[in-house]
Amino acid sequence: MELDDLKQTWNQNQSTKPLNTDIMELIQHKSYGPLAALKKAFRKQIVLMAIIPAYFIILNVDNPDALLNNVILWSYIAFCLGVIIFSYYNYRIVNKMEGMDHMVKVNLEQQVDLLEKRMKWKKTALMFALIFFILLIEIVPYFQHYRMLDKWHSLPAAIRYLVYAGLFVLQYFANTFVNERRYGRHLKYLKELVKEMQ
Amino acid sequence: MLKLEAEKEFIKHISQHELMLYKVCRVYAYNDADRQDLFQEIVIQLWKAYPKFNGDSKISTWLYRVALNTAISGLRKKKNLIRSYEPASMPEPAGEHDPQYSEEERLQQLYYAIEQLNAVEKAIVMLYMEDRSYEEMEDILGLSQGNLRVKMNRIKEKLRQLTKNY
Repeated sequence: MELDDLKQTWNQNQSTKPLNTDIMELIQHKSYGPLAALKKAFRKQIVLMAIIPAYFIILNVDNPDALLNNVILWSYIAFCLGVIIFSYYNYRIVNKMEGMDHMVKVNLEQQVDLLEKRMKWKKTALMFALIFFILLIEIVPYFQHYRMLDKWHSLPAAIRYLVYAGLFVLQYFANTFVNERRYGRHLKYLKELVKEMQ
Repeated sequence: MLKLEAEKEFIKHISQHELMLYKVCRVYAYNDADRQDLFQEIVIQLWKAYPKFNGDSKISTWLYRVALNTAISGLRKKKNLIRSYEPASMPEPAGEHDPQYSEEERLQQLYYAIEQLNAVEKAIVMLYMEDRSYEEMEDILGLSQGNLRVKMNRIKEKLRQLTKNY
């Protein structure tokens, strides 16, 4: 079978027409592309990171002094703010990428870069957040007293450190698993295509 | 008012090139439901990209870029997160020397053979069949003309192997 012999037939062929070709109706639908999925994930993260601290603030609103002096809560709010800023920054990048009118090679490279960076940043940020909260749990009881933290500090140091080490391992595997499940296959597919285009 | 005019112009452009869009869907999706989903996704992406289109390139080049980028990036089904298409299996050969073996049937065999190619090769072969110049293919895909020629020769050989029984 020679391709050139079939060119005429190819160009005369009407091809299968999709059932719905009403353009105005179609553009009202929401996108199911991978970039739309990422945008949705960032949006969800922003909303979640705004709701949780707000919930804790509302919960403690009757006791403003305790609220203002709660180091752990404010540290958590700072962490949430960091995540919100990072997610919003990513959201804007994805928003700019949507429409995908770049050359195919450029578009694929951009998508690989975005996914890899997101996974790398997420991994680093989670590691730092965990270190930060462990330090907080270890240091805060020297300045402020919380019933739960005091109980935790009544345990031998070796057990506490063992639990922290366990948390690091768990966090590493959970993050790798989630990333692989959500983006792993697609990222591999995109990387293969980029390699194919070299 | 401006939005209405933009919509009218957009529909005009799509209508002029709808056959090309159907072919992208035919090459990248393997059943009617997937083709409908892909067509819808391409139209949405075109509509999103339309305000950025400033006429620097030909409208057909721009349409190909968005359509191929959308098709190659794959679709995400509601619960399956991000997924890529899987091609259907090759149909039984009909025999090239059969007098009943029409051009149309040969074209269908070609479509099935194209299904076995990877997403980039599909884009190259499709543009080739659409009689696009190597210059325009370079502008759409971002591959050098030399690289495209080499790849095209390899693809022709691959398709020849895939269809040698037909």
